[in-house]
Amino acid sequence: MSAPDRQGGEGSGAVDRPIPDRILVAEGVTKRFDPRLSLGDRIAGALGAAVERRAVQAVSDVSLAVRQGETLGLVGESGCGKSTLGKMLAGIMAPSAGRVLVDGVAPMQGRHKATTRIQTVFQDPFASLNPRMRIGATIAEGPVAHGLVARAQAPAMVADWLARVGLDPAFASRFPHQFSGGQRQRVAIARALAMQPVMLVCDEPVASLDVSIQAQILNLFLDLRRDLGLTCVFISHDLSVVRHVSDRVAIMYLGRIVESGAAARIYTAPRHPYTQGLLDSVPKLRLEADDLATFKPIAGELPSPLSPPPGCAFHPRCPKATEICRAERPLLTPREDGALVACHHA
Amino acid sequence: MSALLEVRDLHTHFFTRAGVVRAVEGVSFSLARGEILGLVGESGSGKSVTGFSLIGLVDPPGRIVSGSIRFDGQELVGLPQAAMRRLRGARIAMVFQDPAATLNPVLTIGQQMALAVRAHGRASEAAARDLAARTLTRVGIPDAAARLDAYPHEFSGGMRQRVAIATALLHGPELIVADEPTTALDVSIQAQILAEMKKLAKESGTALVWISHDLATVSSLADRVLVMYAGRIVESGGVSETLRAPRHPYTRGLLDSLPATARPGEKLNQIPGSTPSLLALPPGCPFAPRCPRADAACATDPPDVVTGGRLVRCHHPLAVAA
Repeated sequence: MSAPDRQGGEGSGAVDRPIPDRILVAEGVTKRFDPRLSLGDRIAGALGAAVERRAVQAVSDVSLAVRQGETLGLVGESGCGKSTLGKMLAGIMAPSAGRVLVDGVAPMQGRHKATTRIQTVFQDPFASLNPRMRIGATIAEGPVAHGLVARAQAPAMVADWLARVGLDPAFASRFPHQFSGGQRQRVAIARALAMQPVMLVCDEPVASLDVSIQAQILNLFLDLRRDLGLTCVFISHDLSVVRHVSDRVAIMYLGRIVESGAAARIYTAPRHPYTQGLLDSVPKLRLEADDLATFKPIAGELPSPLSPPPGCAFHPRCPKATEICRAERPLLTPREDGALVACHHA
Repeated sequence: MSALLEVRDLHTHFFTRAGVVRAVEGVSFSLARGEILGLVGESGSGKSVTGFSLIGLVDPPGRIVSGSIRFDGQELVGLPQAAMRRLRGARIAMVFQDPAATLNPVLTIGQQMALAVRAHGRASEAAARDLAARTLTRVGIPDAAARLDAYPHEFSGGMRQRVAIATALLHGPELIVADEPTTALDVSIQAQILAEMKKLAKESGTALVWISHDLATVSSLADRVLVMYAGRIVESGGVSETLRAPRHPYTRGLLDSLPATARPGEKLNQIPGSTPSLLALPPGCPFAPRCPRADAACATDPPDVVTGGRLVRCHHPLAVAA
């Protein structure tokens, strides 16, 4: 295993505890995106000149583990790296450093996904379904290609999955444009589950749906997860959705996990100032007239991942920041109740 | 005191090749100065078309077919374009969801704000820039004078939305129509904008129509709420009474759909089915096919039941909790 270049993998020891039944393990996973250099810069670089490479480190040294049957919620604002991490966990993007293991096996071989045991559901069912394929063919394609079902049995398998996700089996001959957004997301879920995965990575699966449809899809997700004993990584910016479906939650900020632990604890007693600020920022349903809405927004903006602040990346916005926060990046360290927090003052 | 805005029986229809889409069907409400009204509904409920009708920006094939919109005593329905343009941006302003689409990418912030200043009166370049800088400062943009020369792409999404809000505020409007203004923003940025909007409405006495699908945002910002479904108002009232004890089964269903109202991991009390097509709406209550309380009576148009400042349009409204 190649060690991450500079960081030396400090966070690698931060896997919660050795857990025998953990099905997904990520160790020191890092993703850098290097910009395409212009021809001039490439020649200058080849001649030995110092060329500034403004690489974006989207995910930095993330270690985590997901147990059999558990749902891990990944939360953060735009640009925090949650989707990039999700892609690496799902085996559809290779980490620049560190490794991912699903059931002890890397989900990627070289540049290609090498497992059917982990499947993904994405945010936009308009973009993730082939508009020219009947949805029956879309659902059957993967299982038939991988020999999970004989071609002759495929129509019955499709009908079964459509019924399980709450669609009329007769819809198999329809095209994606004939469905509403919620129905398309049901098709996307059926397609992922027809591959008989042990793990599902869901990236904002309900973010583009109306409230009443979102509730239907969340209920479907809860039912299927229970019936199939699925292990899930559930990525969302919506804190209340993540709380509803997750056993454990990891909060990300600028490419790193800043806090993780049991969902119930994170939401009732957040430790990291960013987690606290994020929870305070969410508008609450205000039902009492005298229950005055108070906003305690986090000051400032998300920093650019091109030039992350030194030390703790959150220090420019943090009310508790002191000298050490500007100088030294806090490590994700375990606390007595099993929580992991990366903060000098929490 | 008379209301600032008085909407009566508004009908806005779209005449498409597939048929007439009755996007807004008999909407009535009024708004006082300084009041914040939350207009809530799902996609296709008619909330945005209602907003566009208020500011006279319904494009063909859509048009206001009947009804009245009185703004400070002046009728806006049928008002000539030129007269509407004098109002819009000056006394009535708007903020849209996507600030990347509403700001001109090839003009600096200062140039486009100056255009907005001069659209409603003469001002020297220095005076226009000065007003722009002061307004940007009001919405929480630090070092505003220096940022006037930046282009929209140099701003983050949250900062662009602040610029859009500042542009709306330039002329001290009496009414702002905001359509999902924080939907595209991250939660920490949304909280900053909500806090500032609330402060601005209180300080300047500007009335605000806040169009959103997000009940939690509306509950923490608005004084009153209108819930729309299939082009009609199904329930309205003070925001906390209405959301604490909704009387329309649809409002109840929307609240029950929110994960925040349920215990984690428990099944949500979902509304079955999906929103109906406005092209072929059956007669009677449009929510009836999804409603747990529906019966034969719901095949006829439900009455408006008004009690103590609250309105519910339903044959079988839920009881008001004691």
